[in-house]
Amino acid sequence: MNIIIVGAGNLGSSLARKLSDQGHAITVIEKNSAAVSLLPRGRVDSGAMTVIYGDGSSAPAMVAAGISSADVFIAATEKDSLNGLAAQRAKVIYRVDLVMTAVKDEGARALYDTLGIKTINKAALASDQLVELMTEKR
Amino acid sequence: MYLVIVGGGKVGAPLASSLINEGHEVFVLDRDPDKVSALQRELGMIATVGDATSVRALRDAGAARAGAIIAVTDADEDNLAACQLAKYNFDVPRTIAVAHSPENAQLFDLVGIDLVVSATDLVLSNLATALPAHPLIRLMPLADRSQELVAVKLPTAGAMIGRKLSEITLPYGTTVVLVVSADGRAKIPDGNVVIQGEDEIVALSPTNSTAELWEVLTELR
Repeated sequence: MNIIIVGAGNLGSSLARKLSDQGHAITVIEKNSAAVSLLPRGRVDSGAMTVIYGDGSSAPAMVAAGISSADVFIAATEKDSLNGLAAQRAKVIYRVDLVMTAVKDEGARALYDTLGIKTINKAALASDQLVELMTEKR
Repeated sequence: MYLVIVGGGKVGAPLASSLINEGHEVFVLDRDPDKVSALQRELGMIATVGDATSVRALRDAGAARAGAIIAVTDADEDNLAACQLAKYNFDVPRTIAVAHSPENAQLFDLVGIDLVVSATDLVLSNLATALPAHPLIRLMPLADRSQELVAVKLPTAGAMIGRKLSEITLPYGTTVVLVVSADGRAKIPDGNVVIQGEDEIVALSPTNSTAELWEVLTELR
């Protein structure tokens, strides 16, 4: 599948690596050229993974990343509102099938659900997992 | 009406002050403590430091009783998120957001922001009114560029409208070649033709008097 990921921070680069391992075509959009150091360098250099430098919530960067043929769009920057704008543009303007966004504010999750955008809350996931580990141990 | 303004900067601060003068109750949220204290010095305790893209800050700002939220920060994504969160979580009846890029203005409309203020459109429409609405169009240079064939579209109401061509004093050396009415019919430019609003005048003009010709033809009453 063609997958676009906005943001090459911890979440974005780890996602990019795992999905690339599974054989998907990954394009990462990142504003800051220094931040892409977290991406697997060999794959970027060999062209197996594409990096677009730009504002991942803007139309020009999305078009450069090949949004019209994308199957999945994942907004994974550190900024909730930027993720929200990017995800909504992907869903409403470019009609990408599966759109996901990282959110920190629980209050924003229900809103994006109503728009058909899947949400991931890192903190909630981590705490769920920790609770699960504790229960297993008992 | 109780109004929540997001962003207390170049737009938000004067907006808050003018809405207060109109009798509204206003509250401003801004991330920047310096902007907030400047607002407090000027307008009283009507501003607080907060991130309007978080539900908690909106709740603390009293979004639940707000008649409208007006998001005017420099960051389009924050304006969108603040409005959407306010509407979704607190049923704020009217959401107003500034969009700096045209592509964002279009998206804001599509996702249900009630009033989108497009910064680019505002600048363009202001420019349009500042520039002459009835330009002189240079059709072709003639006779070693000492003369030009030009066209001027007349205003709807002006000093020339309703007068016969023979009554109009044109700059020396100017010959009207054709008068085209608003519906596209050509009128023979003899002295008796009556000039009407929105007629287009095609004239042969000495190159150095085209500006004067434009002034004569577009002069308002």
